[in-house]
Amino acid sequence: MTVASREIFRLDYGGKLERQIASLMAAFEEIQFDTGRYPKRWLAIKLLEADPDILARVQAMPNGEQVIARAQQGAEHIKSMLGDEVDLITADHRYGFINGVVRQSLHRPLIDRITLTDRIDNIVTHKWLGLPVFFAVMYIIFRLVIDVSSPFLDWTDALITGPISRWLSALLNLMLAPSWLRSLLVDGIVAGVGGVLVFVPGLLILYFFLALLEDSGYMSRAAFVMDRFMRVVGLHGKSFIPMILGFGCAVPAVYATRTIASRRDRILTALLVPLMSCSARLPVYVVFGLAFFGSRAGTVIWAMYALGIVVAMLAGMVFTRTILKPDVSSAFVLELPPYRQPALKSVLIHMWENTREFIRKAGTTILAASVIMWILLNLPWGVTNQRDSYFGKVSGAISPIFAPLGFGNWETGGALVSGFMAKEIVVSTMSQIYVGGANAQVTEPTTVTEDLVGIGKGFVDAVVQSAKIAADIIPGVHLVDENAASEDTALSTELRDHFTPLSAASLLVFVLLYVPCVATLGAIKQEFGSSWAVTSAVYQTVVAWIAAFVVYQGGHLLGLG
Amino acid sequence: MTEPTQLHLLRPGQKATITRIGGNTALRRRFAEMGIVRGETILIERHAPLGDPVEYFIKGYHLALRKEEAAQIEVLLLGVDHHG
Repeated sequence: MTVASREIFRLDYGGKLERQIASLMAAFEEIQFDTGRYPKRWLAIKLLEADPDILARVQAMPNGEQVIARAQQGAEHIKSMLGDEVDLITADHRYGFINGVVRQSLHRPLIDRITLTDRIDNIVTHKWLGLPVFFAVMYIIFRLVIDVSSPFLDWTDALITGPISRWLSALLNLMLAPSWLRSLLVDGIVAGVGGVLVFVPGLLILYFFLALLEDSGYMSRAAFVMDRFMRVVGLHGKSFIPMILGFGCAVPAVYATRTIASRRDRILTALLVPLMSCSARLPVYVVFGLAFFGSRAGTVIWAMYALGIVVAMLAGMVFTRTILKPDVSSAFVLELPPYRQPALKSVLIHMWENTREFIRKAGTTILAASVIMWILLNLPWGVTNQRDSYFGKVSGAISPIFAPLGFGNWETGGALVSGFMAKEIVVSTMSQIYVGGANAQVTEPTTVTEDLVGIGKGFVDAVVQSAKIAADIIPGVHLVDENAASEDTALSTELRDHFTPLSAASLLVFVLLYVPCVATLGAIKQEFGSSWAVTSAVYQTVVAWIAAFVVYQGGHLLGLG
Repeated sequence: MTEPTQLHLLRPGQKATITRIGGNTALRRRFAEMGIVRGETILIERHAPLGDPVEYFIKGYHLALRKEEAAQIEVLLLGVDHHG
């Protein structure tokens, strides 16, 4: 197995296979097949191995079909004689050669050292300690992503809604811009930009920790520990991290699927992530929970979280058996690399590049949606009543769809439509419509458009709320704080006039499950293309409708309504 | 000499030589890419906390496989490695 220098190195694949390689190379001449930029021997081997990528390329070349037919005959001949596919035989020979070289040139110590990696693995993948360590790591990251980012988030938001909006208004006034243009720029575009930027602090921190997990080597241990659990849903161990993050916000969670190697697994994870009840949905649960279920509000809220998880498991099983069947790329062949200290520079680059991509791609979707929302709310130009705007008309037109679910009025329809922008807006829209009149100093259209500016503000509230969820993970801490519980707002009084406990429960189920917010869909579209974003929107809305229908009509049958 | 057995049936600490690789072409190709070929020695390291997948040591690196996939690999037991 010595290789003379200067001689072109050629690995011998053994007499039978070598004869087939030679005969296929001769066939190239015979058929007058021009191998182009590929070396002849290399191409012959790849064709015999039936390398899918090379087959596709050769197919497109002149006389390619004939060459492939010859290669197939050759490969079948080999298989009948040696009982193995060509690519396995070549792999054997290559590894055989490598082993020979290694044996000649490398001396390994006879006794295996117990490395630092082994010692860490003895803890993090330990039979009893493995799972607790994993959950502790997840808990800490979840808390940090949500809590640490929130002050930055407040700041970003205050900047956009405060000074920048004011300055722009003043500037436009100076330029004598027409009022519609001022409204479009300030309430539509600036609000939209704000809606994009509020995600940035959280994303930066998330990517920092994901890069840390990935580069240190812990990510593959997490996948190792969680794989059995995730397999129930047809997923890979690595899918667990995006799922956990989904309880905070689905947008970074969709991006977190990038750590998964197989595209099929990534898509399935992204389709299930929005079913994890994100922090933006909590204000809706809290308002309705307190208005209708009093002391049992906490139970109702936890039921929502549980329902999201159950529906995700069912949806995962259905997708795995229908449009997302496991492929070979999902086979679990996972390397557990030695632990390494992550390089700060690489972590920072990772962080910045991923966030920048979010701003560019998903940002465009969010911005476009807020401009469309502005148009719907303000046209025909000069509407004073939300009901007369296109927004009101659209809401009225779709509301009959919700009648079988127990909330077929235009107000709820409108709240659900605006909830597409961000789910916490469901509450603020309802309070605009039901209680809005009380707010006398502001005229109706401004109040409504301010609501859109409130996308950012609502998100901040949501983050604060999500810290409460995190706190509630510690047993004994109550989800709904005492002040909130005693607070019977004007909104809850109004809500009780328009909803029964049963239709309220049905609405909560619908809000939990229906179409992911526009930012999430933007992220899915960017990562997997429009058709998967549409799939996500459609399946969740259909599932939401069916689930709310079952709750409302089932409740009626049981005499609860 | 012991009888050939399937990789997923072995216990942590056991060492074996790979004798045959089954499964579909794509899986076998994937195995070959990861250095799982005939004649290679493989050490069973540990089970994941929920029993599956299993960590192996082969060619100087650590690799995790699900039992379902490890069942496609036929091995010959070499005896127990006592180092740890």
